[in-house]
Amino acid sequence: MDGALSRLAEAVCDRLLEIRLRAERRPQLTPKDESSAALTYETVEFDTYTGPKPALYFLDYVMGVAAEQEAQGHLGFKSSLGSEGFWVVTDGALIEEAHKRPDLFSSSSVVPLDPDPTEMLIPEMIDPPDHTKWRRILAPAFAPSRMKAMEPKIRALARQLIEGIAIKGHVDFVGEFGRVFPATIFLEFMGLPQEDLEMFNSWETAILHSPYQEGGEGAKAMYEAQRQVKEYFRELIATRRAEPKEDLVTLVLQAQGVDEDDLLSVCALLFQAGLDTVGAQLAYAMLHLATHDNDRRRLVAEPEITPLAVEELLRAYPIILNGRKLTRDAEFAGCPMKTGDTVLLPIVLANRKHDEFNRGDEVVLDRSPNRHFSFGVGPHRCLGAHLARIEMNAALEEWHRIIPEYHVEADHQPVEHGSMLGLDVLKLTWDSSV
Amino acid sequence: VRVVVDREACHGHARCNAASPEIYELDDVGYVAIRTADVPAGLEDQARRGALDCPERAISIVSDDEPG
Repeated sequence: MDGALSRLAEAVCDRLLEIRLRAERRPQLTPKDESSAALTYETVEFDTYTGPKPALYFLDYVMGVAAEQEAQGHLGFKSSLGSEGFWVVTDGALIEEAHKRPDLFSSSSVVPLDPDPTEMLIPEMIDPPDHTKWRRILAPAFAPSRMKAMEPKIRALARQLIEGIAIKGHVDFVGEFGRVFPATIFLEFMGLPQEDLEMFNSWETAILHSPYQEGGEGAKAMYEAQRQVKEYFRELIATRRAEPKEDLVTLVLQAQGVDEDDLLSVCALLFQAGLDTVGAQLAYAMLHLATHDNDRRRLVAEPEITPLAVEELLRAYPIILNGRKLTRDAEFAGCPMKTGDTVLLPIVLANRKHDEFNRGDEVVLDRSPNRHFSFGVGPHRCLGAHLARIEMNAALEEWHRIIPEYHVEADHQPVEHGSMLGLDVLKLTWDSSV
Repeated sequence: VRVVVDREACHGHARCNAASPEIYELDDVGYVAIRTADVPAGLEDQARRGALDCPERAISIVSDDEPG
């Protein structure tokens, strides 16, 4: 491309960026009733981090606290947890609005207890305009058409794993399917050898599921695994630099103005987001179906509703409690927020308590329309959403074809962890002789 | 009935396309590719569902007798 053309292309890109930016900054909504939004809030201890707890504890807890706050006319409150505390927005429409206003609610901290994180994961913790540039670089790798092309392999893998599980008559769904299935697809997606699966799973366990305690054994294992993950991806980047392939690392390497540390940060994020999330969502979906006979039997009898059921189970059991950090002083949700304050935006409240949902607390498998926020809303919409949907559809459809009847093992209490929600163990059992 | 899309508000959820691939075409990376489209007879419900499913509220349904 000659100089003039490339300058023109650059100008067009900048212009598009400017338009997108303006859209991101445009306020979407105002509080529904200005008078009830007058500064009125209280401080309560609010802890969605300390676990383990019996499964669905955190869902009941968040819904319960939000209902108490609502009864008092509050749209948000302050949690006393941590040295500085943090705000919690409980109104569904305001949770949605906050996600759409990155100018006010920065992603530079996404965990309210950690306002100044040492590592800025790309693109999750980057704000516009840099965020917009990153998304433009990464979007082609996650395009729906590219994900769709992976579907036959994903479905075949789901079938193979579930057929292997079916003959046993019981399974820990989390350990034997939830951690294996998405990780295998991640390796395929990144163009990595399947022999690395076990290594990836041990790193994942150490990083995301170590009993965390500053200076403790779990923390040491976590830092060591993080170091090894970085080392692994550093080598991968060097390999792709020498010998380009049709994969994500090569795609990012070919983009302008990306240095190796940035690319490592992208890989670190994809490692976390790609290995753990789908397994966690599927575990909640399976827990629901194992404990609701009518819904399970309906999904078996009407497999064509699986895509709607996936959306509804995502809506009812979101695993993400998003955090943001204030860029300036602002009154929001009736709370006097200050620059640098952190805010928790529980997606579950937007999904279950939003005005547009009738019977929002119930699971209606074929609910439609179903405008939920489990993949986020606004510029940070989950980049892997299209892949995640294909994985969940394949897993649920194949499972119910192969193992239509199952339940939670007698005397087994499934256990969950907080922060990013997930089950630790989910023991399912069925009659394998039929 | 027509659909009108605010493409600047689109963040690529592709829910509209899942509801009605005929009406809501996507670009190469999964963002809605149309600005406006007439809804063929019989696809009104699909079109409406696509609009109602959009997390960004980027899609409006416009009756033919309303100004655009």
